[in-house]
Amino acid sequence: MIDIKNKINSFFIFNSNFGPKEGEELKRILFFHPNQVTPDAQKMQVGLCEAVVKFMTTFSSQPCEALQTQTKRYIFYQPEKSYWMVLVVRIPYATKSVTTGGETKDVIEPSVMYDLLVSAYKIFRMFIGPFKNIPNEEIYSKCEQFFTPYIMSRNIANNISNIIQGINYLPLEKNSFFKVMCFIDLLEINYPEFKCISFVYNDQLIWNGLATNDMLTLYQYLVQTLLPKQVEKEIQGGAVTAAQRHGRFISPSDGIRTAEDLQKLHKVYLMREDDTETKQYYLVIYRTLSATICFTVDVNTNLNIDNFRALDAFIGPQLSTIASSISEQCTLHALQNAQLANSEHKFIYFNRLNLAYKTSTPVSSLTPSTAIKPEVLSIIAGIHSDRKSLGNYGEVIIKTPDEYWIAGKSSNDREFYVIIQDKNANLKDIADEVKRMCEDQMKGIFFYPM
Amino acid sequence: MASTSKDHVAENEEALNEKVATDLEPGACLESILNPTDSFEEFASEISTSLEDRKTSLTIKSSTISEIQNEIGDSSKESSLRETKSSDNLQAKNESMSASASNSNLLEENEEESDEKDDYLQSPELVNKEKHVFILSSAGKPIYSRYGNEDKLAGLCGVIQALVSVVEEPNQDILRSINTKDCKAVFLVKGPLILVTVSKSNESETQLVLQLTYAFNQIVSVLTLTQLNRIFEQRRNYDLRRLLSGAERLIDHLFIFMEKDPAFLLGAVRCLPLPEKARENITQAITSTCNKIRDLVFAIMIAGNQLITLVRMKKYTLHPSDIHLLFNLVRSSESFKTAESWTPICLPKFDATGFLHGHVSYISEDCQACLLLLTVQRDAFFPLSQAKHTIAEKLRRSNCLVAINDALNRNKELPTTNPLKHIGIPEIRHFMYKCKSTAQLFTSDPISLDRLQDYRLRHKEGGDITVKKIEKLSDIDYVRNYRQFCNQIHCISTPAKLIFRSNSHDTVLAWVTNGFELYVTFDPLMEKDHAIRAVDRLLHWIKKEEQRIFIMNAPTF
Repeated sequence: MIDIKNKINSFFIFNSNFGPKEGEELKRILFFHPNQVTPDAQKMQVGLCEAVVKFMTTFSSQPCEALQTQTKRYIFYQPEKSYWMVLVVRIPYATKSVTTGGETKDVIEPSVMYDLLVSAYKIFRMFIGPFKNIPNEEIYSKCEQFFTPYIMSRNIANNISNIIQGINYLPLEKNSFFKVMCFIDLLEINYPEFKCISFVYNDQLIWNGLATNDMLTLYQYLVQTLLPKQVEKEIQGGAVTAAQRHGRFISPSDGIRTAEDLQKLHKVYLMREDDTETKQYYLVIYRTLSATICFTVDVNTNLNIDNFRALDAFIGPQLSTIASSISEQCTLHALQNAQLANSEHKFIYFNRLNLAYKTSTPVSSLTPSTAIKPEVLSIIAGIHSDRKSLGNYGEVIIKTPDEYWIAGKSSNDREFYVIIQDKNANLKDIADEVKRMCEDQMKGIFFYPM
Repeated sequence: MASTSKDHVAENEEALNEKVATDLEPGACLESILNPTDSFEEFASEISTSLEDRKTSLTIKSSTISEIQNEIGDSSKESSLRETKSSDNLQAKNESMSASASNSNLLEENEEESDEKDDYLQSPELVNKEKHVFILSSAGKPIYSRYGNEDKLAGLCGVIQALVSVVEEPNQDILRSINTKDCKAVFLVKGPLILVTVSKSNESETQLVLQLTYAFNQIVSVLTLTQLNRIFEQRRNYDLRRLLSGAERLIDHLFIFMEKDPAFLLGAVRCLPLPEKARENITQAITSTCNKIRDLVFAIMIAGNQLITLVRMKKYTLHPSDIHLLFNLVRSSESFKTAESWTPICLPKFDATGFLHGHVSYISEDCQACLLLLTVQRDAFFPLSQAKHTIAEKLRRSNCLVAINDALNRNKELPTTNPLKHIGIPEIRHFMYKCKSTAQLFTSDPISLDRLQDYRLRHKEGGDITVKKIEKLSDIDYVRNYRQFCNQIHCISTPAKLIFRSNSHDTVLAWVTNGFELYVTFDPLMEKDHAIRAVDRLLHWIKKEEQRIFIMNAPTF
């Protein structure tokens, strides 16, 4: 993990309407990390941000996004009117990302910082709800309880999965996919109050029943927070694992054995595929082997421990069969891929419509990829965030001074990036290589221009 | 040219390979009249400064002008005389106004005017502008606003000053920029001035900082750095507008010029394309006339923002940005057209501490070339006027005026008038080339003076953001499109050597080598190998015409 203390200078949330009078400035600060910063220094930081936000409203109708000083970068996010989240990172102004003594000081992309704020807010909203619905007197403690552990656990670094936030889908052959579908349908018919909202294998998504935006939030919660902890437990547990073959509820974290455990179920605000607005649900998560499924239950339902026991007995054996068959298929896939991926070039594929994301290097949060140079990532981040210049169909090839070639293609909402290191290649060679990789890796996905 | 023999193709294929390309550097020559230091390098040093460095960076180093004066055996009395004289002036001015100056507390002022300020900023004079520029003193007194009346902007200036000092004071940090999705505010504190631009254009932060630096240099060019610093040392609350009357117009024009002319983007100077012989004759006419005038530092002939020739004192070269300021001065001053003028000019890159004295005049009624003779001598008007008439006469006799006029009127028979037609590659829509070693540039469609003028007329109400459908792209539109490529190529953290971008509008190739920078716009969805071949032919064409397009020598007196 990353040395948070050295990178994140501070993270705070404020709302100027909370202490409108002079002398009440501290009330405006809903949350401040690190909390050992003196109140005066906190007031100073927040005051500066308030002034900056106000200054920009004179010139632009868009909310303020960033403030850069000589030594720090402030990224702003206004998720709800007047509520501002600010992340401050120590980044010197426009300096070379120099490699000193083999250690690269990677510069964090503004987009990565912004995405961090957005996902922090979305997870907060999923579990606790929008800021405006929280009573004033509770908001300070709610923020404290949620954001302190959140920010401490966050990894802020430039790596592929941070630069483009997507969902890693698991492609299955028809029969296996139907098995999953049948299982979900059967389950929902037998237990009508349980609605399956996602089916994840390892960190790959197979089935989703949420609106796309919420899906990314839940997926990130599973893959970045819940599952890594779970996997760690399983590894440490060793012997227990065998006993748990038939699955168990992993949220709440101690499982569901008694009626009291039901009180510990998390409530979440989500929008399901067929919902027209965000509603509150109980979130139930169940795991067998490497398969994880999430359910929602309407909050007005009377929870009954017998129902959960019956559900456990129903899912356990079925899911473990399905999980093993998926596992077999994955092994097969991995073998085929290994043959295909003999090329040393790296690629990233992303589809903005379903957030599908695929890359040549593993993106599992457990094995963060450091294989790509920060400069190269930063160029990719630049292409990714500047959608306009490629338009619906376009292609860009960039050569860096240290002989990296970065190629980006965009076709409607799909993007494909390739990184090649080759000193002697010319533009045409690179274009041909990109075309070849596109055909190999993205069979059946059409990119124009060819 | 249409031959596609195997060898030729092979050579082309490698054209985008650095090693081969270094042989072909159209326009390169051993000695340059211009100092090719990149403005980007300068930016790098500007931005890496800490607060401490910044305070010392503007203290005055040795003066080039006094060095020259010493060298030519001139009395050093002269310079000290000049110094005292100018400070006397200032003293007098200071005293005359100190009575009227209000010492009211800045904060109080802000409170009072904050309501009024909000209203004024929403007035049609100020709202919906593509790029605002505000210059204020470090005490928060307004000096210049691109739009509207800076008197009414005292409130805003107070806010800017407060923002800058809040970042500086407790943390020893420097405020650099603020962004929203559609708008950038860039701050530059230089000496006693705070310069701010709020822009909705597609220019990058670096490019905006450079523009602010230019604006600062424009002020220095009117006052000298010595005087600017001294004014604010003596009175922190001084209203600089008293000394800058007339310079507002220069800054106004400078920003229009910077937004339109790629010369600023590339940190290079455009030369008026002339037959080699004609340029030689012009240079010859100047050197033969002026070699007896001892204190002459530079003789510069320009026309329509293009350099015709530059003759210099040995050892000294000019920085492109100083030449840009001279272009701007000449272009902005109608009075030079009617009479010979004698004017003090400070060239900030050459010597920010003192004035050179310039004899400025147009060559003749029938030729729009302007001759600047810059000297360190305060009272050389008459000998220089004499020299100018001799030069004009020589040029007329050697038919050089005709050559200049042909180039200025873009005579159809010249290959440089419509280079794309002459090169004959239909897929190329536009190109822009900079020779790095000489800091000179050439584009396929030079913006003529009247087009710039015309632009200014069209934008008389001033820089409003308008959405209009563009039927035919002009040079200005292509250059605007190149901005982000330029920025990526010169990006400090992640520079690029080559960018090839193709979309449904066009295909752009940006390529930088040790010797040159090249930006080409092709038709959309251009094949890479076609693009490579086209670029190769383009470079060969520039090589063939380099004597005409560029100034390939560095004459001295």
